[in-house]
Order: sequence, then C-alpha cells, then structure tokens
Amino acid sequence: MTALKRLRSWFADAFDRPSPSVKQSASTGGMIGALVILYFVPGIEVTDAALTWVSVVLIGAATALAIILTKFRQLDRIVMIVPVIDIVAFGCFRGGTGGASSVFVSLLILPVIWLASGSGRRHILYATVLTAFALFLPFLIGVTEPSTITDAVRGLFTPLVFAAASGIINELARQGRAQLESIRSLADDKERMLQRTVEFAAQLQESEQKYRAADRLFRGVWAAVTEQSVVGTDVTGLIDAWNPGATKILGPSAKDAQDKMNIFDFHLPEELLDRARELNYPPGETVLNPGFSALVESARLGTSETREWTYVRTDGSHVPVQLSVTKRVDDQGETVGYLFVASDVTQAREVARLKDEFVGLISHELRTPLSSILGYLELLRDDEDAPLSTEQLQYLGIAERNAHRLLRLVGDLLFTAQVESGNFPLDSREIELESIITASLDTARPAAAAAGIEVTNEIPDEAVIVHGDPTRLGQAIDNLMSNAIKFTPRGGTVTIGLTMSDTSAVVTVRDTGMGIPEAEMDKLFSRFFRATTATRNAVPGVGLGLTITKAIVTAHRGEMGVASEEGVGTQFSVTLPRVRVTASV
Amino acid sequence: MTHTVIIAEDDPDIRGLVAIAAKKAGLSVLEVVSDGAAALSAISSHRPDLAILDISMPEMTGIEVCRAVRADSSLGDVRILLLSASVDEEAVDAGLRAGADHFMAKPFSTRDLVDWLAVGKEDKP
Repeated sequence: MTALKRLRSWFADAFDRPSPSVKQSASTGGMIGALVILYFVPGIEVTDAALTWVSVVLIGAATALAIILTKFRQLDRIVMIVPVIDIVAFGCFRGGTGGASSVFVSLLILPVIWLASGSGRRHILYATVLTAFALFLPFLIGVTEPSTITDAVRGLFTPLVFAAASGIINELARQGRAQLESIRSLADDKERMLQRTVEFAAQLQESEQKYRAADRLFRGVWAAVTEQSVVGTDVTGLIDAWNPGATKILGPSAKDAQDKMNIFDFHLPEELLDRARELNYPPGETVLNPGFSALVESARLGTSETREWTYVRTDGSHVPVQLSVTKRVDDQGETVGYLFVASDVTQAREVARLKDEFVGLISHELRTPLSSILGYLELLRDDEDAPLSTEQLQYLGIAERNAHRLLRLVGDLLFTAQVESGNFPLDSREIELESIITASLDTARPAAAAAGIEVTNEIPDEAVIVHGDPTRLGQAIDNLMSNAIKFTPRGGTVTIGLTMSDTSAVVTVRDTGMGIPEAEMDKLFSRFFRATTATRNAVPGVGLGLTITKAIVTAHRGEMGVASEEGVGTQFSVTLPRVRVTASV
Repeated sequence: MTHTVIIAEDDPDIRGLVAIAAKKAGLSVLEVVSDGAAALSAISSHRPDLAILDISMPEMTGIEVCRAVRADSSLGDVRILLLSASVDEEAVDAGLRAGADHFMAKPFSTRDLVDWLAVGKEDKP
C-alpha cells in the first residue's frame, strides 16, 4: 500500500512537475540512441571525431548539471542552461556526423522543446537563435565550408521551422501553466471552503449541544419548582407559562391556564384597585385594567418588585403570597410580558403569629409570679410591726435586685420579639435630649459609684430637640451607659457626650474599658451575641442590650456607630435626626 | 365611714397581696373573687365604693367588667382600678376608654397601691 502510494507520488512528481533530470532524459536518451545507430548501422558514420566527442561530452555535462539542479531546486533560475548546452551539443553532433547530410538533425527538437516551453516569449527567440547557431556551427568553427546555397537555406529554414514550433510549444506551455494555475487556485478555494464548512458544522454541533443542555436544565428547573408559583404572561396579563408550583398553589393545570386565563384573575380585585389608587392609576399597556397596570408598574419601569399580595384560588379560597414581578424582554429589549414568581407565606405568617402569641403569653406568665415575689418582699420590708434587722434587710435587697433583673430580662425578651415582628409602639413627641441624658446619668451614678468608676458628661448649653419616644430613647441610652460601666474596670471613666450639626444630634458614650475584639465588631448587634472580652471577664448579661438599643435607634430613623480598641476603650454613638426649632423670641 | 372594695384577680397570691394593700389603706374588703363574671355579680349586689380588677381573667376580662359596670347607671359611682401584667399600651388605652379610673401595671409596688387606694377611696366625683 505504501509502496504503491510512493510509486504514484513519484509518478505524479515526474510528470506533473517534471524535474530537470526528467526533462534532460529525452536529450540524453536521444544521444544514446544516436550513438547506438552510429555504431551498428552501416553507412552512417562519424565524419569528424573531435566534434562528435565534444557533443558526447557536452550532453554528459548537461545531464550531470540537470541531476545537480534536480537536487538543488533553489538554483532553478539557471536551469535553462541545460537545454542551451544540449542544443550546442546536438549542433556539434550534427557537424561530426556529416553536417548538412547528418541524419541526427532532428535531435535538436528535444532541447528546443524544453527551451521553448520556458515561461515568457523570449524563449522562442533563444530557441531560434540557438538552433541557427547550432546549424551554422560547423561553418563557424571552420570544420566545413558552406558548399551550396542549399546548405545555407537549410541553415536558415530549419531554425525558422523550429522557431514556429517553439512559438507553438511556448504558447501551449503557457496555456498549460495558466490552466494548471487556475486549477490549483480552484482546488485551493475548494479546500478552503471545505475547511470552512467542516468548522461551521463543528460549531453548529457544539452550539446545538449547548442549547440542548440549557434546554434540559431549564426544563428540569421549571419542573422542580413546586413550592413557588412561576407564571409568565404577555403585556396584557394573558398567561402563557405556568409551572407545577402554580398548579399546586392556585389550582388549574398548565393546560387550563395557558392562553385561557389572565394573571389578574388570581388576584383580589380590591387589593389591585387599592394599589392602583396608591400609585395614582399608572399608565400601562392595558389602560382598561388599572389593577394589572398597578401590579406590573414597577417591573414595567425596569425594577423588579417584591411585595405581599393575596392570590385567589379557583375554588375561591385566599392565599397570602410574597410575589416578585419581573419584566420579560425580547432580543431588541422590547417588553413582551411579565414573570410572576410567588411563594405561599401562609405558614410563615402563622409561625410569626404563634411566636408573637407565645412570647406574649410567656411574658405574662413570668410577670405574674414576679409581681407576687416583689409585692410580698415589699410587704416584708414595710412591716412596721416586725422591723427587720440590717442583715435581713440586706438579704431582702439582694432578693429584690434579682427579681428586678429577671423582670428586666422578661421585658427585653418581649421587646426583642416585638422588634422582630416589626411592631413595637413608639410614643413620639418633640423632646430635649439633655433631659434624657441627665436622667440616664442619674440612673447610672449609683452603679458607677459601686463599681468605682467616674462618670463625666460633655453636654452643650444649647437645647437639642429630636422627635422620639422619651422612654425608649432613655432605655437605649441607659443600655449604653450600663454596658460602659459593666465593661470598665475599677478606676476607669465613662463619659457621655452630646454634639450636633444642623441636621443631626449625636449622643456618644465612651469608656476606658476592655474593648471589643475587631473580629467581633460586625456581630455586635446580633441577638444573644456576647463579646469574648465579656465572657472572659465574666461580665454578666445575655446579649440583648445592644440589639434592643439598635432597634430603638433605627425606629427613630437614627444610626448607631461603634469604635473600639481592645484594652483601651469603646465609644458608641447614636445619631438622631434633629428637629429644627425656629428661634422663639 | 369605712369605704368598701371588691377585689377580682385570678392569681391567688396577687389576690392576697391586693387584699393586704386594701386593708392597709383602711378599706373594708367585701368580697374577693377570681373571675370576671363573679366580679360583676359581686359589684352588682354589694355596690362597693371601689373595685380592683385584673384585666386578664377567665369568664370576663377586667375591661369587659368595667364596661358592663359603666353601662349600668345604678353602679355609676364605683371607682375602678385596673391591674395588668401586660405592658401593651393598647390594653391600657382600652381600659381607660372602658371607664376605669386608674391603671397599674404588674409588678406594682404595694406601697404605691396603698397610697393610691388611700387617696382614691376619698376622691369621689
């Protein structure tokens, strides 16, 4: 197989693009044939041995040169020397074998064909001139004299015939070359196109695979979403996509809903109308349906909106849902419809309600026994008939203090639960911050004195008014003060300050305490979180104070800040929006 | 003349505490009951000067009793003090709207209760 292949390839090389050796083989072969004839055929004889030998040597040299040029293709441009030598050689051969009467004149045609086939018309001229030169060679070098006019004519006529032949050969070769060139370029074009087709097919296959994978993923996800309803509509609200979750939450199958029902059929009409009124009847694609326009208003304007709505099942029952509405767009970015993704929040609401109820009950149930404990302790203390000893009074004080601590904890827990469910009441009015700070200072002083901590304040003379609930704000600042005192070692200082700008008032509580590790700063306001510095130093507490403080501040549209360095101290700040009071005279 | 009082409270210990406070304030405790319905019938039959009612009680809440008492014009001059372990401000508002004269949150100081009772019993409109 490989041998055959090699042979075919050699054959193709030899004849499609013949090498100088192959071209020269004709002249060499011709010469050998002529020598054989000269040797065997009687009557054909050498007339000039020297010229004949010269011709044999020249052909040998030309053949050798052709072989060398075959090896070194970079020397291609001098290859035409070979047929030139051949022509001169055959001229000599003719001269050596009888001159004008030589039978070997026809050998000249072999190199002439080669020379004439060269690219460019100048080769015709070369061939003609060289032929003439070869024919006149014997006369030129004086071996023979031109004897008759016939000889002279032959010397001229033969080159002319050769010239004509050269012309034809040259033209044929040119046409051949041109054809070959165009065939080659066509083949190249074909090759390139084929290559491109193959590449394109590969790309097509790849993108088809990608598309199939994406399609499988999408179908999988679509079918897997069974706890959320996902509904797609056109711009008028007509349903065109309906997932299994929608069937589960709302009732109808995809077949019954798609292209038959509208998304607003599943909404409480009053709720939609209320929302439309709230949004001042937004202009939508569907002017006739203000409820639907209100439903998709945010999405239409480009913002995905999530809010609570009530879905109405086909059986008439209601489902509270958390619904996100998003816009669907086509390739040009034009809105073609909307996507409605809803989660049933019935359970979440029930859980929240139960939690509120539970916390309320617990706090009531804990308060009642605490009321008894505190009440009877007070009776004991106030019993005038049997006054208590100093020691007994001291024990009573400890019992009372701990009962109060328990009571505060219950209050904090209840308050935290209220904050979480987002409904703790604020009894807001315009208040002077100084009075709240002074009250907090008074509350903090006994504990600070007992702990050996100095309490100072930096309060300006100017009245700073904010809008807020004095009890809650007092609770917030009390918490910060009590924390500062708890976390500051004996001999330290706690400073409460008040600064303000045109728009806000800032209350700061700064201590020289143990500080908060930097890594724990972001967890500081989480429920039940206690800093490692607190637990390490056995500072009592449950981790609700800052949660509550922050909730109070946030409810007042304020902000809380904290800066701390371990071992140096901590500063908490509460920034509240300030109420501008027009100067009263 | 000694002023009279009816005490209604479902927790026996608190009930005892309130009774002691009432006695300390110089009141004569006519009856101590543990639910709202009993409280209403006791008020109707004894027509006391004062009624101390817990808000969360079985049968009728303190607020319901208060409303029923105020609805009965023959009982119009009974002074009513509501007690509650709830800190819910809505409950306080509801109590005062129902016609109560005063509200005290639990835990209350017996000293404060005695003080209020001593003044409240006299303070008739």
